[in-house]
Amino acid sequence: MKLLSLALKNITRHRLRSFLTMAGVAAGMFLFTAVETMQHSLAKVTKAGADDTTLVVYRENRFCPATSRLPEYYLPTIDKIEGVREVIPIQIAVNNCGASLDVITFRGVPADNLRKYNPGLTVIDGSFEDWSKRSDAALVGETFARRRGLKTGDKFEAVGINVLVAGIIKSSESQDNNVAYVHLPFLQQASNVGLGTVTQFNVKVDSSDLLEPVARRIDETFRSDAQPTTTRPEKAFFAETAKQMIELIGFTRWLGLGAVAAVLGLVANAVLLIVRGRVKETAILQTLGYSRFKIASLVSFEGILLGLLGGAVGVLAAYSFFQWQSFTLGNEGLTLAITPDHAVLLKGFLVALLLGLLASLYPAWRASRQSITASLNAA
Amino acid sequence: MPPFIQIRNLTKSFKKGPNLITPLQDLSLEVPRGEFLALMGPSGSGKTTLLNLIAGIDTPTSGELVIDGRDVARLSRAQLTRWRSRHVGYIFQLYHLVPILSAFENVELPLLLLPLSRSERRTRVEAALELVSLADRAHHRPPELSGGQEQRVAIARAIVHDPELLVADEPTGDLDGESAAAILDLLSSLTRDHGKTIVMVTHDPKAAAIARRTLHLEKGRLIEQAHRGGAFQAPSPPEPLST
Repeated sequence: MKLLSLALKNITRHRLRSFLTMAGVAAGMFLFTAVETMQHSLAKVTKAGADDTTLVVYRENRFCPATSRLPEYYLPTIDKIEGVREVIPIQIAVNNCGASLDVITFRGVPADNLRKYNPGLTVIDGSFEDWSKRSDAALVGETFARRRGLKTGDKFEAVGINVLVAGIIKSSESQDNNVAYVHLPFLQQASNVGLGTVTQFNVKVDSSDLLEPVARRIDETFRSDAQPTTTRPEKAFFAETAKQMIELIGFTRWLGLGAVAAVLGLVANAVLLIVRGRVKETAILQTLGYSRFKIASLVSFEGILLGLLGGAVGVLAAYSFFQWQSFTLGNEGLTLAITPDHAVLLKGFLVALLLGLLASLYPAWRASRQSITASLNAA
Repeated sequence: MPPFIQIRNLTKSFKKGPNLITPLQDLSLEVPRGEFLALMGPSGSGKTTLLNLIAGIDTPTSGELVIDGRDVARLSRAQLTRWRSRHVGYIFQLYHLVPILSAFENVELPLLLLPLSRSERRTRVEAALELVSLADRAHHRPPELSGGQEQRVAIARAIVHDPELLVADEPTGDLDGESAAAILDLLSSLTRDHGKTIVMVTHDPKAAAIARRTLHLEKGRLIEQAHRGGAFQAPSPPEPLST
């Protein structure tokens, strides 16, 4: 504790040097956290877990929600398939079918089905009843609302569709937080697809091990029908359709590693320069009776503090940036919200701490091996 | 009563390139407890080497170096470091204070190695600064102090943990006459009033005159001793440095 306090004095009383080093660390850790946030957000929407039980039924060989047309009367047939718990027909309207940073997705659903299908959905502002009563009302996902600056009572227009915000919703399903739910007949008419036609069916099955067999069964059922289907788990579907986007985000991992290497080099260089510039002071401390371990600890604490303080600034800045900006990548009607996460925050702090420690190992070893008499003579 | 410092056939040599350098050769010496000893001699005579060996910041090649009954020549590096932190105070010619720390924090440095509470450390640091008449400069940093004041802070740092042995390497070498006299008075009082044993390297005959005994070294060997006053008598029980 006493050495930590001494290391802190060394940092705070060499303000310019510490500021410049920490600024570099903060920039590197900002980049690292940004990359990690993207990777983490991507993993959330593409990696299937044991609790994933959602299937998406599209028309076979569709390229975009706009070209997927399925008859609404498929609903009771799907509902009767063994293992299916809930089915909801959805009409999708998007402003951009390709990859976009500001995708707007309307999901038209039957009013009485929405809550039954998704009981985890909560209205955090406004009310569900207001939405049920008015045909052009929308329940807007909280990420979408934040990105667009929408609040209950606002009217907005996109994709040629005018709606009134009846409430803001929050859901454990990340897709729900990025869309605007409207009434199915309203969207069918407003987007000119016509009543009785939907883009997709979202199907909940009883357990995750039923995803594949139920998907097979659905596709077999409609194989000879006018509109054959392709059914896949929602996350697998996203992984398939957003391949290029995923590859691009995957590539950013190298940027993250580059940022980590840059921070490591920066802190190591800074601590090594500190050690070199403090040969005399180290010799004095050794003369006073500071052991090799204590000298090494003092140098390491300084490196760790530089890494941790600079890293904390960078990590928190990245966290705040993504919280404030609410970036959402969209592809073919599915969205990937780049949302900061506490796990990423914690990882950022840990990486900063480890980098500080690693970067100071060699300088600490060097400082502790200094010969007192040679250092005093050199001073 | 055995001597406080007992040196027998002490030799220090090291290799510099292909040459073997021997700054100290077969030196024997005894220093009673509470003595103020000055080491003089030309550059390269081995006086600083002897001082560093006595202070435990260097180790001899051969010979015996017993201080207060402990053969420090046989201590491991870690043991020597621990011994130094408790029993030795070192005063440098160029003060060697840590520039970013205040006078108080500089003096506190040796106490950070001891199991003392913050208030105990404060009491001891204040007492040491009081002793060197710098209590009012406790929160000044070295660049804000004169050379004489810096050296007094360095002396406070050397005595704050109450070591029996003080070693000083030309403590007045960088000071003007008035400041040098004040520092020598202070060192003299540490022997007289607090029973410290002081070994001081100096080039200045005036500084050496304050010491009770002066040793002249040349080419690593003791060539002359000069005593002042009568036979040496150990001082009366020392006053504690702190309350």
